Amino acid sequence: MTELRPGAASRAAAAQAVFQVLEHQRSLSTALPVAASKLSARDRGMAQALAYGVLRHLPQLNFMLSKLLTKPLKGELLILNSLLLVGAYQLVYMGAASHAAVSATVDAAITLGRNRQKGLVNGVLRNLQRQQSELLEQIAARAELAHGHPRWLAELIQHAYPQHAEAILAANNQQAPMWLRVNQQHHTREQYLALLADAGLAAASDSPLASAIRLEQPVDVQQLPGFAQGWVSVQDVAAQHAASLLQPQPHERILDCCAAPGGKTAHLLETAPTAAVLALDADAQRLQRVHDNLARLQLTAVVKQGDATSADWWDGQLFDRILLDAPCSATGVIRRHPDIKWLRRANDISALAELQARILDNLWPMLKPGGTLVYATCSVLPAENKQQIAAFLTRHADAKQIAIGPGTELDWQWLPGEQHGDGFYYAKLEKRT
Amino acid sequence: MTKLTILKYPDERLRTVAQPIAQVDDALRADIDNMFETMYESEGVGLAATQVNIHRRLFVADCSPDQNEPLVFINPEITAQEGHFTNQEGCLSFPGVYANVERAGKVTVQALDKNGESFSLTAEGLLAICIQHEIDHLDGKLFVDYLSPLKRDRIRKKLEKEARLYGQ
Repeated sequence: MTELRPGAASRAAAAQAVFQVLEHQRSLSTALPVAASKLSARDRGMAQALAYGVLRHLPQLNFMLSKLLTKPLKGELLILNSLLLVGAYQLVYMGAASHAAVSATVDAAITLGRNRQKGLVNGVLRNLQRQQSELLEQIAARAELAHGHPRWLAELIQHAYPQHAEAILAANNQQAPMWLRVNQQHHTREQYLALLADAGLAAASDSPLASAIRLEQPVDVQQLPGFAQGWVSVQDVAAQHAASLLQPQPHERILDCCAAPGGKTAHLLETAPTAAVLALDADAQRLQRVHDNLARLQLTAVVKQGDATSADWWDGQLFDRILLDAPCSATGVIRRHPDIKWLRRANDISALAELQARILDNLWPMLKPGGTLVYATCSVLPAENKQQIAAFLTRHADAKQIAIGPGTELDWQWLPGEQHGDGFYYAKLEKRT
Repeated sequence: MTKLTILKYPDERLRTVAQPIAQVDDALRADIDNMFETMYESEGVGLAATQVNIHRRLFVADCSPDQNEPLVFINPEITAQEGHFTNQEGCLSFPGVYANVERAGKVTVQALDKNGESFSLTAEGLLAICIQHEIDHLDGKLFVDYLSPLKRDRIRKKLEKEARLYGQ
């Protein structure tokens, strides 16, 4: 008896995940666990690296395949297109040992049930090896390929940030670091850094935020000291500003709107344990993760399923503070979710901006006079951020914007990679008394 | 040690039912050594005597990740089996061909080792599949027998064509 090459399973799983994203508009974070469910931990890591890499460099890889295939693959052969993207990525961008990489990808065609196209996969990848440097030169000469974004999104970013567009596009193609939020109920940052050092995990504490630690290398959460006991959570540094901007006080009534998976809910309660926090989200499945997070951190909030554009979940009592982490394009977290570049469409942005406006208008009457609302998105697009808040202020005379930005800025737009954080937006509004 | 010639499908000799082994002796152990050499050099995880034109009930296997756990089965019999497991199987008598075959997920096999001592082994995963695949060989049965006639025919034509082209 013979067995397929050990690398075949991870290549096949990566191809299936990429196929689900590109052809069925599934998110990579949904598709990858399904595709990789039968793999060993090591193969899962490989499948993940391959699938993320393909989605980071899709235009370049598509260009190479278009030059190497005599005709596009269609119908039941589409899965082979995803497999060839995976094969091309590992040859060109991973610097994989070429013979082993090609033969593992050829065997993956068998795993995918395409025995008869083994020769095709082999031929395309061998040709790629021969023509690689020439193809890379052609790509470098085409700016629209080299930045690895869909044209509409690159144009929006270039329009909004003429000075920084190139840096933003480049940062979106980088791997994001793993950030931790130290639960200050248990340890100070310095104490937790010492625990990490004992565990042999290198970390930096260069953020001005007293809770934030950046790991030099991502690790499985189970390796983090006291993770199960709630000493620490995984959260990007940009998102960790929400709690300090909202400034929750003891015993206040606080609404955390669009709370799942509950990272910010937990942070609010770590900051003000006696606050009465209502965590609202429309997605029942994702609300389970809020419960899980709160249980791990031994915190208590009221968790409710509800639609942020309606008031049927509200008991009529005003909130002291509201955190609205609005549904958005997620264009600030492309470095963590490269599939966003290919799942979003240009006309999604106006639809999202309209939804955000409806949620803001719906929640504003629930805030007591003198109360504070912090508006947050993980977007870099002005239509969802600065312009959204400007339009809100013209609709609501009782709203006043509080300056929070660095320098003289009213609001705060983090760009991806800035201080190693995600792209994020914050504005703080106060209701006049 | 000698690397032996592996019979390729559709060679009719692969259909021979192997005879039980009456005595485990040095001549048999020499065959076993040659079979291991043949299996490792061909990057296989199992090889039945039938495949190297020795029609005696014997197979060798090594399903360990690092290929450092050689196993010998003489006069093997499956005494218990349970569950189902579908896996893509290939075979040294079918170069480059892989197909999904459903088999028992867990088997217990009784056999003699290379010193003629009786042992019993319960296996899961790849080794369980391999044991069933190799015992089939000793009964003249091949993994393509589990496939539809259409698929089997396609594989036969492909291998016949390759044999013509490359003189295998």
